[in-house]
Amino acid sequence: MFGLPDITIMVFGAVTIIAIAALVYWGITFKGHD
Amino acid sequence: MADLLTIGVIGLYFVAMLGIGIWASKKIKNTEDYLLAGRSLGFWMFVLLMIGTVCSGMSLLGVSGLGYKMGWPTMWEQIFVPLSIAFCIIFFGVKLHNVARTAGYMTVQDYLAHRYESPTALRSLAAVAGIIVSMIYLVGQYTAIAIVLIWLFQIPLWLALFLAMVVTMIYTTIAGLYAVAWTTLIQSIILIGGVLIMAPIIIIYAGGFTHVNEFIASVNPALVMPWMPSGAFAIPYIFSFAILLMVGLACAPHVINNVLAIKDVKYFKWAPLVAFIIYFVAMFLLKFTGFAGLTMVKEGVFTLPGVPNAGDFVILYGIQYALPVVALWAVFAVIVLAAVMSTTDRLMLTIGAMFSWDIYKKVLKPDADDKSVLRLSQVVVVLSAIGSMLLAISPPEMLASLIWMGIGVMLATFAVPLLAGLYWRGATREGALAAMSLGLVSSLVVGSLNYFKTVAMGIEFAKIPLHFSFYAFVIAILAMIIVSLLTKKTAEKVLDETQTGWYFSK
Repeated sequence: MFGLPDITIMVFGAVTIIAIAALVYWGITFKGHD
Repeated sequence: MADLLTIGVIGLYFVAMLGIGIWASKKIKNTEDYLLAGRSLGFWMFVLLMIGTVCSGMSLLGVSGLGYKMGWPTMWEQIFVPLSIAFCIIFFGVKLHNVARTAGYMTVQDYLAHRYESPTALRSLAAVAGIIVSMIYLVGQYTAIAIVLIWLFQIPLWLALFLAMVVTMIYTTIAGLYAVAWTTLIQSIILIGGVLIMAPIIIIYAGGFTHVNEFIASVNPALVMPWMPSGAFAIPYIFSFAILLMVGLACAPHVINNVLAIKDVKYFKWAPLVAFIIYFVAMFLLKFTGFAGLTMVKEGVFTLPGVPNAGDFVILYGIQYALPVVALWAVFAVIVLAAVMSTTDRLMLTIGAMFSWDIYKKVLKPDADDKSVLRLSQVVVVLSAIGSMLLAISPPEMLASLIWMGIGVMLATFAVPLLAGLYWRGATREGALAAMSLGLVSSLVVGSLNYFKTVAMGIEFAKIPLHFSFYAFVIAILAMIIVSLLTKKTAEKVLDETQTGWYFSK
């Protein structure tokens, strides 16, 4: 796909999705304090 | 190459930045206003300040340059650098902001002095180390601006450096973080908008996403793989690269101090995600522009100059061929100027804060009044601007490598005392002093041995498998653990006041 080997798409895609999912989780669960 | 329109576009940008500085200077009433913008930054101001601070001019040219040289394996840079903002907010920002509100911290050194009960020794060491690494980083920033202004105007290096320095210095001196935040807001919009418009045009001109990937794979199949088979950007190197960028940039003094200036901690809820996505998209496109540049060079569309850092010119030449309108080149020069100035202004202000607040007010002259601290901050901003410009008049390829060295030294010096201080109640003052001093010295030593390709003790330092900073980082961790276990614990009262423990916020 896109002229790239499958492994490149899978590795970068997985890391990016995990990073975004972790930051979404942070946003949802963040309570903060001030 | 320059015509009246080009000069007009650049001139307009400079005038706009100075105008913001003059307007913002009216808000400065005391040192807190000057160093922390009165702790009043809103969500977008903070997010764009973080992006603008992290995204430097050399990263703008260097990102595509590295892509041109090594292809997809370098795409990790575009994940880890945006993640550094999230790391800074999540692991440092929430807790530091909350404690700073009650304790009144002006700088991160205030936190270190409080947490480690070391009002003089650790504060001074942290401030001096911070000034050294900020100066290294500041000097390196001028490479990008010199490359672009020389390319566009064909003016001498000293004049290119002087033009970029003097405007930044004026607005930073007169209005501190208020000016830095407002100019960075504009600069980040120019930077992100410019990349989002220009990069796709260059990529389409080179034949589009799929063609570029297929072409660079035909040049070298390793260029479309997620890592290189050995050496730089092999799997071990990528691991150390992740730590370097994500943690090293997050704890850099000019980045981490921004978390003290936010108005409300609730902005930390979505700031990590928003900053990551915006920065990731822009930097991904920029990196891919490097791949497009490689395609165009190999297909004979243009040739790069015969200089050691030829890759750094690839985006300039890409623009020149894909967008053959001189006025647009001036717009690109403004984009690079925006990237450089949004980092250099924050660096100058950080150096000013560390000297005037941490060294002068807190160590040398505790009875100094607010007005004299404010004036001294301004004097130090001017001196750091002039000093770094003078240091930058030396071979550009040396300067480019200084940026990487600067981030590595930041990682080895600050990451361990900060992370251990915030999360480990067993971390002691002596442990922090040992970690910081050994981290600083060992990173400078290993970094120099690596840069100068030294062979010593049977080790070829040019071929070490991990980024040099990782070795110094490990030394700092070991120093913190061993020395802390052997020395007197910090008082429980201080640990409670500084919210030390395995949690993000209470």
